[in-house]
Amino acid sequence: MNELTNCFHCGLPAPDGAALVVAIAGSPRPMCCRGCQAVAQAIVDAGMATYYAQRTALPGAPGEPLPHLAALAAYDSPALQAGFVEAPASDASGTSCEVNLMLEGITCAACLWLNERHLAAQPGVLAVDVNFSTHRARVRWDPARTQLSRLLRAVAAIGYRAHPFDARRRDALMQRERRTALWRFLVAGLSSMQVMMYAVPVYLAGEGDMTAADETLIRWASLALTLPAVVYSSAHFFRNAWRDLRLRRLGMDVPVALGIAVAFAASVWATVTGTGEVYFDSVTMFVFLLLGGRYLELRVRQRATDAVDRLGAIVPAVADRLPDWPASRRSEAVAVAALAVGDVVSVAPGGVVPADGVVVEGDSAADESLLTGESLPVPKAVGALVTGGSMNLQSPLLVRVTRVGAETTVQTIVRLLDRAMSEKPAGVAQADRLAGRFVAVALAAAALTFAAWLWLEPARALWVAVSVLVVTCPCALALATPAALTAATTRLAREGVLVTRGHTLETLARVTDVVFDKTGTLTHGRLRLGQVLAHADRSAAQCHALAAALEQGSRHPVALALLAGRASDAAPLPAVAARHLIGLGVEGALPDPHALAAAHAADAAAAMAAGIPADTSGGTLTLRLGAADWLAAWCAAPPPADLPTGDAGTVVVHLASARAWLASFVLEDELRADAPAAIDALRALGCRVHLLSGDQAAAVAAVADRLGIEQRVARASPASKLDCVQNIQGIRNGEGGAGLPPGERAGCVLMVGDGVNDAPVLAGADVSLAVASASEVAGASADGLLLSGRLGDIAAAIRRARMTQRIIRQNLVWAIVYNAASIPLAAAGLVSPWLAGLGMAGSSLLVVGNALRLGR
Amino acid sequence: MGDGVMQETYNYKVVRQFAVMAVVWGIVGMAMGVFIAAQLVWPDMTYGIEWLSYGRLRPLHTNAVIFAFGGCALFATSYYVVQRTCHARLFNDGLAAFTFWGWQAVIVAAAISLPMGYTSGKEYAELEWPIDILIAVVWVCYALTFFGTVIKRKTPHIYVANWFFGAFILTVALLHIVNSMAMPAGPFKSYSAYAGVQDAMIQWWYGHNAVGFFLTAGFLGMMYYFVPKQTNRPVYSYRLSVVHFWGLIFTYMWAGPHHLHYTALPDWTQSLGMVFSLILLAPSWGGMVNGIMTLSGAWDKLRTDPILKFLVTSLSFYGMSTFEGPMMAIKSVNALSHYTDWTVGHVHSGALGWVAMVSIGSLYYLIPRMFGRQEMWSVRLINVHFWLATLGVVLYIAAMWVAGVSEGLMWRATNPDGTLTYSFAEAVKATYPFLFIRFLGGLLYVSGMLLMAYNVYRTATARDARVYNDAPIPAAALAHA
Amino acid sequence: MESLYLLIPLSVLLVGGILWLLWWAVGSGQFDDLEGPGHRILMDDDRPVPAPPPDDLR
Repeated sequence: MNELTNCFHCGLPAPDGAALVVAIAGSPRPMCCRGCQAVAQAIVDAGMATYYAQRTALPGAPGEPLPHLAALAAYDSPALQAGFVEAPASDASGTSCEVNLMLEGITCAACLWLNERHLAAQPGVLAVDVNFSTHRARVRWDPARTQLSRLLRAVAAIGYRAHPFDARRRDALMQRERRTALWRFLVAGLSSMQVMMYAVPVYLAGEGDMTAADETLIRWASLALTLPAVVYSSAHFFRNAWRDLRLRRLGMDVPVALGIAVAFAASVWATVTGTGEVYFDSVTMFVFLLLGGRYLELRVRQRATDAVDRLGAIVPAVADRLPDWPASRRSEAVAVAALAVGDVVSVAPGGVVPADGVVVEGDSAADESLLTGESLPVPKAVGALVTGGSMNLQSPLLVRVTRVGAETTVQTIVRLLDRAMSEKPAGVAQADRLAGRFVAVALAAAALTFAAWLWLEPARALWVAVSVLVVTCPCALALATPAALTAATTRLAREGVLVTRGHTLETLARVTDVVFDKTGTLTHGRLRLGQVLAHADRSAAQCHALAAALEQGSRHPVALALLAGRASDAAPLPAVAARHLIGLGVEGALPDPHALAAAHAADAAAAMAAGIPADTSGGTLTLRLGAADWLAAWCAAPPPADLPTGDAGTVVVHLASARAWLASFVLEDELRADAPAAIDALRALGCRVHLLSGDQAAAVAAVADRLGIEQRVARASPASKLDCVQNIQGIRNGEGGAGLPPGERAGCVLMVGDGVNDAPVLAGADVSLAVASASEVAGASADGLLLSGRLGDIAAAIRRARMTQRIIRQNLVWAIVYNAASIPLAAAGLVSPWLAGLGMAGSSLLVVGNALRLGR
Repeated sequence: MGDGVMQETYNYKVVRQFAVMAVVWGIVGMAMGVFIAAQLVWPDMTYGIEWLSYGRLRPLHTNAVIFAFGGCALFATSYYVVQRTCHARLFNDGLAAFTFWGWQAVIVAAAISLPMGYTSGKEYAELEWPIDILIAVVWVCYALTFFGTVIKRKTPHIYVANWFFGAFILTVALLHIVNSMAMPAGPFKSYSAYAGVQDAMIQWWYGHNAVGFFLTAGFLGMMYYFVPKQTNRPVYSYRLSVVHFWGLIFTYMWAGPHHLHYTALPDWTQSLGMVFSLILLAPSWGGMVNGIMTLSGAWDKLRTDPILKFLVTSLSFYGMSTFEGPMMAIKSVNALSHYTDWTVGHVHSGALGWVAMVSIGSLYYLIPRMFGRQEMWSVRLINVHFWLATLGVVLYIAAMWVAGVSEGLMWRATNPDGTLTYSFAEAVKATYPFLFIRFLGGLLYVSGMLLMAYNVYRTATARDARVYNDAPIPAAALAHA
Repeated sequence: MESLYLLIPLSVLLVGGILWLLWWAVGSGQFDDLEGPGHRILMDDDRPVPAPPPDDLR
């Protein structure tokens, strides 16, 4: 494709080249739509055109029109701001307010740079701090000179969205946790490196090279340097171990704490009395490695938590409450947090429903795709349930709130995700148990050794027992699994696969069957205008313009496809009074069709030639756009013989007046470009591929045929989908399965979907992945999110999961072999203590190094 | 303008003074180097005038290039970087001015006292105690100015370059004070507070860390600011640069004793030095890769931008000499290289290739800004300077490698009966042609510096140039997170 | 090796200083965002402001 025909701002194809143009750094650049044009112009006008030189990724196309200031004005009320704005603080330089914003639409660092600079340049803004890692901004402004709503609009003007959120709760907690962990880790790091510098010469020095006084000095220095690592950095190991002991169990922290304590105490004893050996280097190195692993784990977990916070932010912070409804329609803006069950709120078209509730007035449709993955609008009439976080699409709704706060669907999902993050992977739990048993053995071995040497040679008893303890310190065992899992999780996250449950990686490695839950996963799930068929020689472009005029302002997928399919240089659409009939189509009266035609054609004669019939009554023309049945019942003319019907994976709508059929529009759901390659890659890994869909048989067959998927089920209900999955798993008594005995599983199923609308199926599968580009919230019940939107990453994730399991096995085998070999040697007194320390550190390093291969 | 509100500005005056003096002292110090290089080729050229003798001018050469040229470049860049990244004017203009005049006084005093033969005899710390005290005072004022500015910063974060500069300032203060402890015995004579092998150990603890912190940390600070700025791309990985800093801090302090391989120092301290020299390779190369990869995706800029050529070439030399250094610290290699011209070559690949080139690149970036211009008077001249400098360094170090290895081999060659194969004079004779090539390399390098001086002069006196002192400090501050 | 009696305590003290510095850096959020600062120095435009026109042209 020619580079010039792509939008300079967002990179999407720009129809007809230079129709929309913005001059950037002196040269005209093509734009694909007015949204991009406005954003690019705003960026250039603010003097930030260098953004285009700095960016490394393209931004998304600005989806929504710029919100009006009035719509955001609600954010300025002090009562509302109480929820997320820090109370205005006064100091010598005046009053200031501060808010935390979550930025959306960020694709690369240059986006953040742009936001930071743009916000800082707004009059009245005192300070801005954008965190480039978490995509959050802290803004302080002078309430006398500007308003929060202006700041939100300023962000919208350059094509991003900002949600105010309350950072004081979870954020502050996370920050403290992160800083404490980092600080512990750094203290141990500094300690271990310094102590190592004193330890190496002692190892290197030949017999008699170093005077006893020098060695004593070095020991005392090492002792001083080890103190922070033991007293501060390891404090929580001791606390956890103490807790474990009181609960009478041998957790992972028990051997760790014991190892640190014994080695350190013995070393202190050796230093004070000037006998034996010191292990300061082993102690600090051990603590350092362990804390490093835990810090990385924490970072991965927090990054996932951040995704959850974003989910919570889809619910608006303010709502329009009608306190006196139905007596009066007076509305007031209140904080969503202040809503109570039974309140009635109004939701404007394009607005987000603030809480779960029941519709009490109005007739509209809601986009629940963010919550359920359902891509088509759901009709909402009086009595229908609406979910907080879904978007009202067509006409105003009044909703009576039924659930608020923690009870709402969104918050439930957030809680579920939270729980998933805190789950301990089964493998880690297993390693913990193993280590628990192991430490019991090691303790027994040390005790026996001590007793035996006491009998043989009392002077050496203590040091041999200590070297047994040090050499067996199960730190390699403790690190084997988490280090590998952390490295793999981090690596996958970098590639765009976010693991949200503990077991995901382990199960992914065992996957034998990949089930695509719906066609929307393999296709884009959004309609595109494929073909315009004008009937009886009418102009396709003008019929398209008429249809677009009817649909303007609507957010129905059909409407979006029709509007998006228009050439960018097309004349503006005339205003139309349109009425949306849910499930049927749209009807509207055009004021003067000839004027419209003239606007498109060079002269009126051409308008006549276009064959648009004039309505006799007052020059208006009523048109309908919708399903064939609906039109046929209304239009006087019979449907044309060549009227297309929807076939595999397509939707057809028709345009007609009361007297004639004008045109048909074929809209199709595109197959993702990378789907065939992704399916082939999965097969290459030895996985069987299935397609389960609620769609019509023809649509499913079309997709399955193109991808060569044999196992396919169409028109599947959630219950039958679950059946299919269980069949594959061979759970249902081998019925249709592999004929295995009951209870035994034939296959391990990975479910790939785009939503949580099929919760039982996703839960029934062994492991599930959600394609996040279709719906970010789908992660609610999926075990992983495909944030990249690339289907090819599924195979890559399976490959990496298998490699992870391989490396965990290697690590565990190594740790066990090392310990099995070293305990007898140490017990026999053959391992000098420094060798024991070196062996312990070495085996840990080996395990960590092996795990790091996953991160490459 | 005209509304009477004074916009706060940066202190460019002291930056400009130091930047210009860096060029001046660079020429003086390097010319001195060429002069003594010529003396090695033509030993009788100064007719035995004692204050022109090699023994007196060599310390002057090292002091002039390290402390006069390198020092002025570090002062200029650190003052510039700390102001620009902290969005704050220097903490105290008077103190800053004192550091300038005080430092120039130190340099002039060194230039007079060293040829007169007043020296404490410690390498890189030859200056006598009155000058040492002046250095200490100036350095404390420097620290006050720098950290005062950091403290009054308006940005929450302290940019990584400032961490490097800060570490350099603090460590040099500590090193200088500990190593210069001496008992005065008259105005121009003192005795070290340490004796014998202790003195040697302290001296090389100082010597090594002076290289580590004066000649590395400070210039890394320069690199971390000027490479991204000149490329107009963020440093390849900021995270790595922070790890680089702390890695260096955690490991550098102990690698000193390797300078005393095969001396009276206990064997184990030497082995220790060797081990840590090898460990040091990791942070050093991390930094180099980070600097060079900053250009990834913008390699084409390297074709057209001679300033960038200087900066990137300096990084390559940094990588090369930080590899060569630890290799030379390995005992068996050191057995060959110690006391030969190889060491001289190694030092100069670091000094001319890394330190000088990164300084020159940064100065070319700074100087037009100090004179209110968009760029230097002639960019082509910068390009010529670059090629002269590169050719000069390559000639220099190649000659020294060959000379050094032949010396090492000839010194250790023995006959079957155990007697030495070569007399010392034979080894000297073998290196003679290479000493001449080294002189030529130095000459090329100095001629490049002269072009730079001319370019600076034309830049400062160009029609649209002005003494630029009103660079505004951005008003909208970034918040404390 | 008397010099060790100076150098070792000195470096232990130095480690204390570094620890304090680390503590301050972690606590003040120096390590909270390790991407942004790299970009921020590029936001600082340090090209000289063009010279004001001479008085006689005003």
